[in-house]
Amino acid sequence: MEPVIRGTDLTKVYGNLTALGEATFAVEAGEVRGLVGSNGAGKSTLVKILTGAVTPTLGTVEITGHAAPLGDPRGMILRGVACIYQHSNLAPSMSVLDNIFLGRQPTRGLGLVDTSRMRAEARALLERHQIDLDLDATVSALPTVKQKEVEILKALALDARVIIMDEPTGWLSSVEVAKLHETVRALKKRGVAVIYISHVLDEIFAVCDTVTIMRDGRIISESPVKDVNRSQVVHLMVGEKLARESERAAHEKRHPRGTGEIRLKADKLTKHGVFEDVSFELYAGEILCITGLIGSKRTEMVRTLFGSDRFDAGTLEVDGQAVTFSSPTQAISKGVGFVPEDRHREGLMLDMTMTENLAMATLHRFRRGVILSRRSMVESGRRAIENLSIRPPDGTRPVKLLSGGNQQKVLVGKWMSRTPRIFILDEPTVGVDVGAKAEIYAILRRERDRGAAILVVSSDLEEVATIADRIGVMVAGRLTAMHDGDSAPMDEIVAEIGGAD
Amino acid sequence: MRIPRATLALLFFFAGTAVFFSVSAPRFATATNVENLMSGFSFVAILAMGQAFPILVRGIDLSIGAIVAVVGMVVFDLTLIFHVPGYLILPMALLTGILAGAVNGMLVVFLRLQPFIATLATLAAYRGLVYSISGRQLVEGLTTTAITDRWIVGIETYYDIGGWTGISQFMQMPWFPLSFFLMLGVFVVLQTVLLATRFGRDLRAVGGNHEAARLAGINTGGIVISAYATSGLCAAIAALIMVARFTTSTEALGTGMELTAIAAAVIGGVSFAGGIGSMFGPVVGAFLLGIVLLGLTLQGVEQFVQQIITGAILLAAVSYDRILVVRRRRRLAADLVAAS
Repeated sequence: MEPVIRGTDLTKVYGNLTALGEATFAVEAGEVRGLVGSNGAGKSTLVKILTGAVTPTLGTVEITGHAAPLGDPRGMILRGVACIYQHSNLAPSMSVLDNIFLGRQPTRGLGLVDTSRMRAEARALLERHQIDLDLDATVSALPTVKQKEVEILKALALDARVIIMDEPTGWLSSVEVAKLHETVRALKKRGVAVIYISHVLDEIFAVCDTVTIMRDGRIISESPVKDVNRSQVVHLMVGEKLARESERAAHEKRHPRGTGEIRLKADKLTKHGVFEDVSFELYAGEILCITGLIGSKRTEMVRTLFGSDRFDAGTLEVDGQAVTFSSPTQAISKGVGFVPEDRHREGLMLDMTMTENLAMATLHRFRRGVILSRRSMVESGRRAIENLSIRPPDGTRPVKLLSGGNQQKVLVGKWMSRTPRIFILDEPTVGVDVGAKAEIYAILRRERDRGAAILVVSSDLEEVATIADRIGVMVAGRLTAMHDGDSAPMDEIVAEIGGAD
Repeated sequence: MRIPRATLALLFFFAGTAVFFSVSAPRFATATNVENLMSGFSFVAILAMGQAFPILVRGIDLSIGAIVAVVGMVVFDLTLIFHVPGYLILPMALLTGILAGAVNGMLVVFLRLQPFIATLATLAAYRGLVYSISGRQLVEGLTTTAITDRWIVGIETYYDIGGWTGISQFMQMPWFPLSFFLMLGVFVVLQTVLLATRFGRDLRAVGGNHEAARLAGINTGGIVISAYATSGLCAAIAALIMVARFTTSTEALGTGMELTAIAAAVIGGVSFAGGIGSMFGPVVGAFLLGIVLLGLTLQGVEQFVQQIITGAILLAAVSYDRILVVRRRRRLAADLVAAS
């Protein structure tokens, strides 16, 4: 059968770096193709070439056997290639309707937009795919999950023959993910070719027919999903060394309640209308994971622990002393460290170098009189980069040029240089590849064994199962269950997360 | 059609200010004063509408005052030195404005300059051009010669609409300047372009999310250049109105107008965040600045104090815009939590 889309010998070179090398890649109609690989493996480059966002250095793209123009987004859209990008690709100040038809609104003479036709087409589309959206709502006023639906609808409206989904489930709850997968299956039935990119292997196995694995800018394997298993995929993705490490991690010994010393104690913490009666103890030398659906107020709760937000009622004790943090500065002085969920917006100075970012939380140490000692900063940065095995190990590199996993390591490392006694991390591995994940887990374990009390908020059950010494479940603003990590019944936890009694 | 809250607030503030001066300032609520407002601020409104276009695509056009001078020079030279008939000068003047604006756009798009830097440079360059090559400088005696071409000075015409319709029998009516109707015409055309055409939506898409627009196949470079060209066109229309009023043009024509136009656009709710705003706001913003300045003058407030008050209004408008944005973010966060 003729593939719908075929890329031949696609190569993209940036300076000395070959982001993509001689990739040959074809997808047939009605096929759902999984595309996996560590960050920096070349997935994004491949996708960008297929959507026309980037011009390849070498190679050709054919759509149903005809050569397609390269580096021309409009040309690819006209040929039926749509992409749902990882980051929002909507015009926030415009209506849902305008966004669905972005750049290709139907017109009646004089360039006047034919609003009634647009509306009718959008209605039909909503009906056919059973999506519930207010077409006149302004996109910026919609919650993230709804915005994702707008993006999907935008792709569907193109009547695309190829739909590329780049990490489509990054911010979706598990119910939403299931719904998205139904949509993917419906698309498949209609003969659409889907390219599905995800770090979450469960999703690949749930929804894809075939899987392409990339590493270091090359395609290294391509096979039907039913012919491979999880650990084979992981091995191919990360290479031998890291695969062993991540496997070993799964069999780590757990330390519920760590050393038995209570570092932080929350008693009936309440923020009206947000979360209520949250009580737990966090021990030195343990990793406590709090899991739950997106929107179960985990983030809001931990923010009050760090003084980033206030709680209304209840008490918070650090080392047996009641505290009320009115700002992060106070929390930091008590030895609390916090890695926020959104590393771009809240965590890193993207344009500054790795060294500068790493020194950010401990600048006072590099002070010599009123000026900062460059040399000691560079030296300590070099040590941190080595400890965290950040790649490339070049402290002068701006953080924005690092892959997601390495950025996250910088962020974690920034706090680690303060040796926090209580370390809170919110979704520390979202958008981070398998290899970097294993390394971040190793770092957290090292900190735990040193005696730090670590609290991790995570939606990723794989992650929770891998690192948690204890597991707490939050449902709709309440902490509903607490388990020991070594004996945690995962199926029960899944039921609890969904709010079952 | 949902009327945005910011627009309502602006209208409310406008009405409140008008009422305040009607009560407190002598001779404010008179036909003469309304006439002054219309003739003195219609071209400001046109400049503000033009300015809104670059701002909508997350840019700014500092050069419009200088473009006004360039267009003024072109009109002056063509009619007084080359004796070109007025009906030919008008389209040439508009074309000059469009070109000067398009150059700004091209600097932003092709050289990838920051709009602020690009138009700061052309602000100096255009103004310098006028000082160095204008016929007014080079040909003796022209400084005192008035422009008489009917096509040009005819723009400064007033219509006694109250008299024609008979309303003047019941109340005192101002005479309406042609510039006011030109302003209305520009408003109708640009508002339609912005809200009802593909181009308008593409423009707001580029301002709202440049990368999304590019990946949706929109020719973002063309859109940005068009936005600056529109600003230049509006500067040309404003220049014609000013030249007609003064029956001459000077090298300093339009100096500082960019700041008034930007202030009017921003007061009118055109957001520097891009993609937000319509033509309605800049018009109301321009006339709001107008009534404040006229009202304060009638109250005998010093000019420097007037500038302080203008600045305060600008700050208030921008802060209000920020408050709305922050509130929307909060509500969004709450919705996100409620939805899942």
